[in-house]
Amino acid sequence: MIEVERVDYVRVPVTDMAEANQFYGEVLGLRRNPNSPADDWVEYEAGNVTLAVMTPHTHDDDFVPLPPATIALRVPDVVAARTQLESVGLEVAEMWDSGRCRGVGVTDHAGNRILLHHRYAPYSDGTLP
Amino acid sequence: MRESRLIDAERVDFIAVPVQDRERAARFYGETLGLRRNPNSTETWVEFETGNVTLALVDPPAAGQPFVPLPFGSIVIRVPDVDVARARLEEAGVEVVGETWDSGVCNGAVFRDSEGNGLAVHRRYAPYNDGTLP
Repeated sequence: MIEVERVDYVRVPVTDMAEANQFYGEVLGLRRNPNSPADDWVEYEAGNVTLAVMTPHTHDDDFVPLPPATIALRVPDVVAARTQLESVGLEVAEMWDSGRCRGVGVTDHAGNRILLHHRYAPYSDGTLP
Repeated sequence: MRESRLIDAERVDFIAVPVQDRERAARFYGETLGLRRNPNSTETWVEFETGNVTLALVDPPAAGQPFVPLPFGSIVIRVPDVDVARARLEEAGVEVVGETWDSGVCNGAVFRDSEGNGLAVHRRYAPYNDGTLP
């Protein structure tokens, strides 16, 4: 067993940093960490965890997108978020509702599908996430 | 049209970890990595807590999707000491890939979980330019 303190970052592979900065910084509205180390490795703060947006091809690696819906971003209102994204012409997937939470996928320019998510039903112990 | 702060993202609810064998993966995350299993997990939706963000084991074939593992170094876990963590992972039979890297500000080692997902153990030891440490 190892001693895990937290997740430092999730690596988000992209193909074009300008497009990615627009998507993660402006569309998703995440705060850019001013301590980001390089133009091809920009860190965005998603509240509880860092998303390290980077180009694999400048880091001796091949680009492979994250599997669909790897990152579930909590939004206050999934329907409103979907409407907002559609209003600027972004392609969003069909919204789903599991009976406890709902979500909708939006794809960045590199092909990573981000899940916008909100759980509205409490857990069996009565708490909400 | 300018797409400006359209979405009010609050936090990451979970990182989905694709698995091929839920039991095997649960052993890996619970025992090899020693993460706490969220008591609100169900039989088909199992969550592990890392301290700041939830890892959710997902079974893509059960949802009609192909299994595709997380790429190289996708989830980067903070540990007190990378060398110690690497040695413990290797003792547990985990595939640690390549040499431990050292960027001058942090070090780390990449490995694969029981399902082939790309993870890493990591420690930043140098402060940022503003003097703070993560």
